[in-house]
Amino acid sequence: MSDFAGMEDLLQDFLIEATDLLSGVDNKLVDLEKNPQDHGLLNDIFRGFHTIKGGAGFLNATELVTLCHLTENLFDKLRNNELELTKEIMDSIMAATATVRDMFGNLESGMQPPPADAQLIADLRAAIAGELGTHAAAAAPAVPAPAPAAMPPAAGPDWNQLYGAVAGTAPDVAAAAPASPEPAMHTQVAGQTPEAVIQHAVGRRATDKPGAVSAPVGRRDTEKTRDNSIRVDTSRLDQVLNLSGEIGLTKNRLNSLRSDILNGRSDTDTLHALDQAVSQLDLLVSDLQNAVMKTRMQPIGRLFQKYPRIARDLARNLGKDVELVLAGEETEIDKTMIEDLSDPIIHLIRNAVDHGVEGPEERRASGKPEKSQVRLEARQEGDHIVLIVADDGHGMNAEKLRAKALAKGLITDEEANTMDERQSLNLVFLPGFSTKEVASDVSGRGVGMDVVKTNIQKLNGSIEIKSQVGKGTTFIISLPLTLAILPVLLVQLGEQPFAVPLSMVREILPIQIDQVQEVGGRATMVVRGEVMPIYPIAHLLGWAPEQVPEYGVLMQTADHTFILAIDGFMGREDAVIKSLEDFRPKGVAGVTTLSNGQIVLILDMKELLADMGENRGVPRSSFIPAERAAA
Amino acid sequence: MPADPSKIKFLVVDDFSTMRRIVRNLLKELGFTNVDEAEDGAVAWQKLQGGGFDFVITDWNMPNMDGLTLLQTIRGDATHKVLPVLMITAEAKKENIIAAAQAGASGYIVKPFTAATLNEKLTKIFEKLGW
Repeated sequence: MSDFAGMEDLLQDFLIEATDLLSGVDNKLVDLEKNPQDHGLLNDIFRGFHTIKGGAGFLNATELVTLCHLTENLFDKLRNNELELTKEIMDSIMAATATVRDMFGNLESGMQPPPADAQLIADLRAAIAGELGTHAAAAAPAVPAPAPAAMPPAAGPDWNQLYGAVAGTAPDVAAAAPASPEPAMHTQVAGQTPEAVIQHAVGRRATDKPGAVSAPVGRRDTEKTRDNSIRVDTSRLDQVLNLSGEIGLTKNRLNSLRSDILNGRSDTDTLHALDQAVSQLDLLVSDLQNAVMKTRMQPIGRLFQKYPRIARDLARNLGKDVELVLAGEETEIDKTMIEDLSDPIIHLIRNAVDHGVEGPEERRASGKPEKSQVRLEARQEGDHIVLIVADDGHGMNAEKLRAKALAKGLITDEEANTMDERQSLNLVFLPGFSTKEVASDVSGRGVGMDVVKTNIQKLNGSIEIKSQVGKGTTFIISLPLTLAILPVLLVQLGEQPFAVPLSMVREILPIQIDQVQEVGGRATMVVRGEVMPIYPIAHLLGWAPEQVPEYGVLMQTADHTFILAIDGFMGREDAVIKSLEDFRPKGVAGVTTLSNGQIVLILDMKELLADMGENRGVPRSSFIPAERAAA
Repeated sequence: MPADPSKIKFLVVDDFSTMRRIVRNLLKELGFTNVDEAEDGAVAWQKLQGGGFDFVITDWNMPNMDGLTLLQTIRGDATHKVLPVLMITAEAKKENIIAAAQAGASGYIVKPFTAATLNEKLTKIFEKLGW
């Protein structure tokens, strides 16, 4: 039951483009708050609403047109200096943007948006008339009070229509209208909970809010469908086309060389030509791979755009003055990763604003500028993308963290005593560590720091904390450039090669069996003064050892450093991962094919280690093949 | 109406690609299949100088160079000054229409519009031009 039969394509296009546009507007609004006189900003925002209005008209989205029209008129006055941007006007504008976003949500589920909140419309009209926050102040714009006399006729929210939009059914008078006098959907920012602020800002519908009218959470499905498309710069597609054309030419060359060779011509010239053609193909194919990968890459700025607004609204709610500084927006990252990163970053920003930075008094008391800064930065470092969320708040106290974890029974006394600074900070990633934010979060799914970490790890990434008491906390996320290609180290057990993710490998060292010592029933080796557990790969895979391992690969997972004992290694390779669809042996992440056609299993170290249970110890005897042990 | 609508080459100028597509689709409905696009006045002017265009349909509000400036640029150029230009805006404001007329717009159409409205405006312009 779509209101847009026959217009679906147009609707999709409009939503993708208009959502981008609105994010841009949101950001510029945050800038505008700092520079209320900036003519360029006022113009850009004016044009944003104007453009959305124009598109909405073709979709017959009357209510969206009305709202954009009012906001646009307001900006017309602001940019012509006929009005001054007051705090009240800013609030109305922010509320209008949030409502426009809600309306995009309605459109996305194939419904015409309901009228905007009457109070909002009244505020906008009052603002245009130059009456908001001046003599109309008595009508208290911040409180959605009973309709002031100045309101246009028939401006009360149409509950039937609202209900229809929310529940996805035809208006039903009996079931409609929760009797609340307060407009549930578009209250002003000032009165909202942080969750609501985030929901507004990230474009989740009010219908997703727990406790809202019949909240069908499944609505997010529509969002996913939309996100399956991607906008690619045509010059990148041209490059792909160009390369595949050249590969075609090289293929032709190879074909003709093949006939020559099959016909018995194998002189030096022919072989030389063959060699050349193959090298060229090699070059072209890797260029093509790169070019195809690039079509999936998007500037991370598209993700960053929406955060300044979230940070601003959140900070205002908490009575803090926070500036979110963005850097490295042009850094490119795989599209699928951008989507999966959204929630973790929101959480980290929220965390920084909520817990990281201090309130104004505390900052003044400790001699810091009242305005705190949260920095969100992206950059490429080699074959990795690094994301940084840093605040200049009070930092994290390792001692307090340990005490809290201890009190919650997450760690033992003994563990607490042996923990260094880094390990203590990492305690925040333990499930059940965070108290305040469980289940109240971004989308009501209870995203805690443990989920942030799990999500990052799912992307083959890692997260690290650096904190200085009094100076601030920095979260550093490191991610591979793409998920399609995994750099691996090829290791050998006997003659059989296996692949392990290179991101986990720190170094390769020789193993002398007499340096392997048993501590508490566990085989260990000392590397530069540090005692590391050592696991033979044969043991992890459940194979009988045939020889004493010669090499150790020092590996680091999120919570564990260990040495993987192997018989030999073959070097690194960029593996194209093929998943084993229906058949997935434990501890195997997938397979890849080597240049010689051999199939190699890619090991899932985390799963293999988990299999070993709590103790994670391997007796020294397991290193030595049975016959030698017997002798 | 010209004998073969597909012979007329249109340039559709709008910063909102959805809008360009809408206009392109409406033109297609009317049989005008030869359409190129530009995302603002500046890009449009560059394309126009390359030659070959018979008709410009432009939005008013755009970054870099707006529709009115584009129109003025076209009218001020010896080779292009006779090019028909249809202005699209979201406003039916009197002062806008007057400004467009003064700058020499061939026609003026208010968003949203249907294929029929567009056709009507185009036919009028064609008649005036004697196509």
